[in-house]
Formats: sequence, structure tokens, C-alpha cells
Amino acid sequence: MAEPSALFELDRVSRVYGDEVKVHALRDVSLTIHAGDFMSIVGPSGSGKSTLLGILGCLDLATSGTVRVAGQDVARLDDAGRSKVRGDSIGFVFQQFHLIPHLSALGNVATALLYRGLTAQVRRELATAALDKVGLGPRIHHRPVQLSGGEQQRVALARAIVTDPLMVLADEPTGALDTANAANVMEIFAALRAHDRAIVIVTHDLEIADRADRRVSMRDGEVVDDEILRPAAGTVVLP
Amino acid sequence: MTRLRELIGVAVAGLLARKTRTLLIMLGPVMGVAAIVAAVGLSESAKGDLRQKLQELGTNLVIATADGTFAFGTAPTLPEEAVERAGNISTVEKVTGYIEMTGIQVLPSAGGEDFFRTVPIPVLAADTELMNVLDTGLESGRFLNEFDQANSIRSLVIGNALADEYGYLEGETRTLSLNGRDYAVVGVIEKVELVPDLDRAVLMTPATAERDWDIEQTPTGLYLRVRDGTAEETAEILPQALALGGSEGVSTTIPSSLLEAEAEVDTTLQLIVITMGGLALVVGGLGIANVMSISVIQRSSEIGIRRALGHTRGTIAGQFLLEALVVGVLGGIVGAGVGVVAIVAGSRIGDWVVTIQPALLVWSGALAVVVAVIFGIYPAMKAARLEPLETLRLG
Repeated sequence: MAEPSALFELDRVSRVYGDEVKVHALRDVSLTIHAGDFMSIVGPSGSGKSTLLGILGCLDLATSGTVRVAGQDVARLDDAGRSKVRGDSIGFVFQQFHLIPHLSALGNVATALLYRGLTAQVRRELATAALDKVGLGPRIHHRPVQLSGGEQQRVALARAIVTDPLMVLADEPTGALDTANAANVMEIFAALRAHDRAIVIVTHDLEIADRADRRVSMRDGEVVDDEILRPAAGTVVLP
Repeated sequence: MTRLRELIGVAVAGLLARKTRTLLIMLGPVMGVAAIVAAVGLSESAKGDLRQKLQELGTNLVIATADGTFAFGTAPTLPEEAVERAGNISTVEKVTGYIEMTGIQVLPSAGGEDFFRTVPIPVLAADTELMNVLDTGLESGRFLNEFDQANSIRSLVIGNALADEYGYLEGETRTLSLNGRDYAVVGVIEKVELVPDLDRAVLMTPATAERDWDIEQTPTGLYLRVRDGTAEETAEILPQALALGGSEGVSTTIPSSLLEAEAEVDTTLQLIVITMGGLALVVGGLGIANVMSISVIQRSSEIGIRRALGHTRGTIAGQFLLEALVVGVLGGIVGAGVGVVAIVAGSRIGDWVVTIQPALLVWSGALAVVVAVIFGIYPAMKAARLEPLETLRLG
């Protein structure tokens, strides 16, 4: 059986903040994320996981080392190029949802499809389908304030997957939710697993982290552990 | 194209989400444009009736009269061929000559001498072309015609003011006494705005003038209609063209020029008010820059998520610039509308003729758009420069 393809490759990546007083947020991190991975990155605050998320999400650049997304060296891209990588290959989910308050659930999801040469009709259809997938079909015209925290996070999830990205990158996706909603959101994450897509959840919550198939532990800017908890979706031989 | 439409959609949605704020920042351009439109419009409207009158009268009437300075003692005349020579000038469309006669006392009735002698009444010999050239009509009766001319009939046409003075009733058979000879009044000319002298004049045919008063058939003056816009140059060349090196002096007047000067709007005042309107626009622009800059900070989360969703810096800048543009466009349109309402209302109060220049509406509206976009550049750049990593507050 073929090795699942590497979507994201970090090779001895470091990120140093500050000019005079240097803070090493990441030290020589090497990490490969494959298609089919359902992965958690766990660690206490200050362990560098947010920095890692910024670099994985092409929101930040490494100070040294290389970051490859689908084989492409991110450091060689300009801002517009990295924007394109984000738009095409990465779907973000944040702790604070970050929905645009004046847009409906449908509008928020459709925003991810803007400037791709799609007609409004197609954007609406794709967004509706994504909202259906996270179980928000009947609430597509509600605005964020009219939705519960769990529902808002599901809108954010729909927004993350509507572009069919290579990786869904989630930052403490259950951090602002109660236990029931958190469980519900994690179930959706699990259901979104696909053999051609990676799901990466950054969290400090071990319980959440253990729901993933693969768990990467960080401490003081370094990866201290990388273990497979159960077989990843990509390794399952499909009938 | 779709991209631009999408951007416009995003910008409009962003503005609609904050209606009060949008309306408030729109007030700047609205007031600036309204001030400019109203200031110019009202000052134009105040002169609108004069201008309308000018339009009706035309500004292409030129009068040439024989200048007395070279003709010592005798009544000055133009060259005999003056009408023909004037007709040869390329800018002249219509021309007619007249002969002003002297030494004739006009009286409405026997015994009125004492009362009417004090003010001499001009007596003119004019041909049938006169009404055509002056573009005027009759208040009553008829004008001198070919029959009068061919048979030297003693018929007269009199000016409007004279008819009033003599208490002439419409349709009345009235004779006037010219140095004791009785003439029948056959018609009354309408008021001729551009040639007020005619309002008190008495007109007869040249043939009658020649037979009764032994008048030479050389005109003392000409009325000319010239091509629009050529009145001044025609008036300038006319003395030479008529005299052709002869000794006759010719002076010319353009009767509409006085009216034109009166209809001229006070440009200094207008400029001051336009400048103030422009200042209002700039202050409004500052308001746009101010409010939108704050808006960018408040919407940093939205900007961050858009950047995370793959929107480029350029797209974000475009979004905010378009918001400013839309504010400018709507502000310009509404401002022009408010200005027009002010002109109409002001003209009604002042009883003026509403004068609205479409070009003014367009350029003042365009100015609002330009100002809005210029002042939208700073917040747009600010939005584009925001780092998504900082605005998204990762956990």
C-alpha cells in the first residue's frame, strides 16, 4: 500500500521573535502531515503550538527551516501567493469563531468562496451544502448573534470545508463551548475526516486531543511526542 | 468583472451593516455637493429671467448708425449702398435700412401742440423687411406693405408707447398730423425690447417719405441680424465694410450687450461659495478617513478572517476603498438632489427662473467621489496592512 501523500512538511522549522531579546517560539520542528490525518497538536500555553499553527496556516513565516504545502516552498511565495495557498488549501476554525457579524450563516460561508470566479448562485449552493453537512440546513439565514456558540462554531466549520481544502486547521475549536457542544463539534470533525484531507486541531485540552487519530505533543517550542492513537483514515483500504 | 462585482457586493454589505454610521459619513459629501450645486444654481437662477429674455431676444442684433462727426451741419447718412454692402458680409443673415427724418412734428390732434411739442417724436422711413429683421410683431393692425410703398400711401405704423401716450384704441381709425399733413395709423408695433427707441416712433414707407418730404433714399441706420456668436466681430468690421474708405462715419451698437452684462453672474461671490462647498467636501472627506480608520480597528477580526480565507491585501484595500467610493457616489447623488431642491425652493421664494446646469451636477458629484476615494486611501491601506495573525488572537 502506498504511503499517503505528504500535504504539509515542516523541516527543522524555527521561529524567533524579537531583535535584541530573542524568544525562540519554535525550535527545529520537523513535522509531516499526510492526507487522511486527523491530528491534534497539544501542549500547555507557551509551548509554541499557536506559533506552529500560524506557520502551518501560512499566516506567519518561519525564521529558518522550510515549510512546504503540497510540495510548494511557502517562503518563496509573496503575500498574495500565501493568500492563495490559504484560500485554496487551508480551512481555518478559531476558538472565537470569527464570523462576520453582519452576514448570515450562508453569507459567512459564502465569503470563503469569493474572488474565485464563481457566480453568486454557485457560491450559495456550495455554502448551503456545507451548512447541511454540519447540520445547520434550517438556520442558514440566521446571523451569528441569533446562533448559539455551538452553532456558530459549526458555521465556522462549514466555512472551513466549503472550499474543499487540503487541511482543516482548528485553533482550540471547543475552547469557547460547553461540554455538550464541544462533543458535538468534535463529532463533526471526526465525520469530516477524508482520505484526501488532513484535520489538525491545536488544543491544550488533552481530552479533546485524544479524540484525534494522531497526537503531537509540544513543550517549549519543540515537538516532544508524536504518536498514532488509532489508524488514520488515509490508511484504510477503501472498498 | 465578476471580481469587481463581488467586491462591490462586499463593500455595500459592509456599509449596510452600519447604516447610521454610513449615513453620517455620507453627510459630508452630501453637504459639500449640495452647497456647491445650490450656490451656483441659485446665483444663476437669480439671473434666470434676464437670461431667458436674452435667449428670446437673441444676442445677434447689431445696429449701425451714421456717425455725425464727419457730416457737418446736415443729417448724417450712411453710404447709399450700405444695405447691399452689409448683406455681403458673411456673418450677416438679415439686414434692413431705415431713414431717420428730422424736422417733422408729430401731433395726435389739432390743438395738442402745446402739450405734445415738448418731446420730439422720431419719424422713420422703413421698408417691409423691418419686422422680419427685428423679429417682432404687431400689437394691432398691420405693418406697412408693398401697396403702401408702391403708391406712397400716407399710412403710419406707430410704436407701442406712443400708442399708449396718444390713447390709441385698438381698431380705431386715427389720423396723426405730421407738420399738418394727415396720416392714417394702420398698426401698432409690439414693444421691441432691444430697440426701445421704436416704442415711441412713427414709421412710414420710404416712397411716402420721398414724395411727401423729399427725403433722399440713403439710410441713416441699419438693423442687422448676424450669425450667433459673431455680433462683436461683425460690429467691429461693420464701419469699414459700410464706408469702404468713404468719408461716412459709422458707429455700431449691440443692444443685447447691456442686458448680457446685467445677466452676468457675480463670479467672485460664486467662487467664494464654491470654495466653501469645496471645503465642506474636504471636511467631509476627513470625516470619512476618520470614521473609516476607527471602523478598520473595530473590524480587525473581519479583516483577519478574510485574510485567513485567502483574500489578498489588495482585495482588502479594494473592499475599503470601494466602501469610500460608494459613500462618495451616493453622497454625490443625494447632495446634487438636495442642491436641486434648494435651487427650486429658493427660486420659488425669490420668484426666479430655475436654472440648473446638468454639467454642474455631474462635476460636483464627481468631485465628491474623488474626495471620498482620496480620503478612503488611508483607512484602506491601514486595513490592508493588518496582520491576520495579530487580529485573530490565536488561543
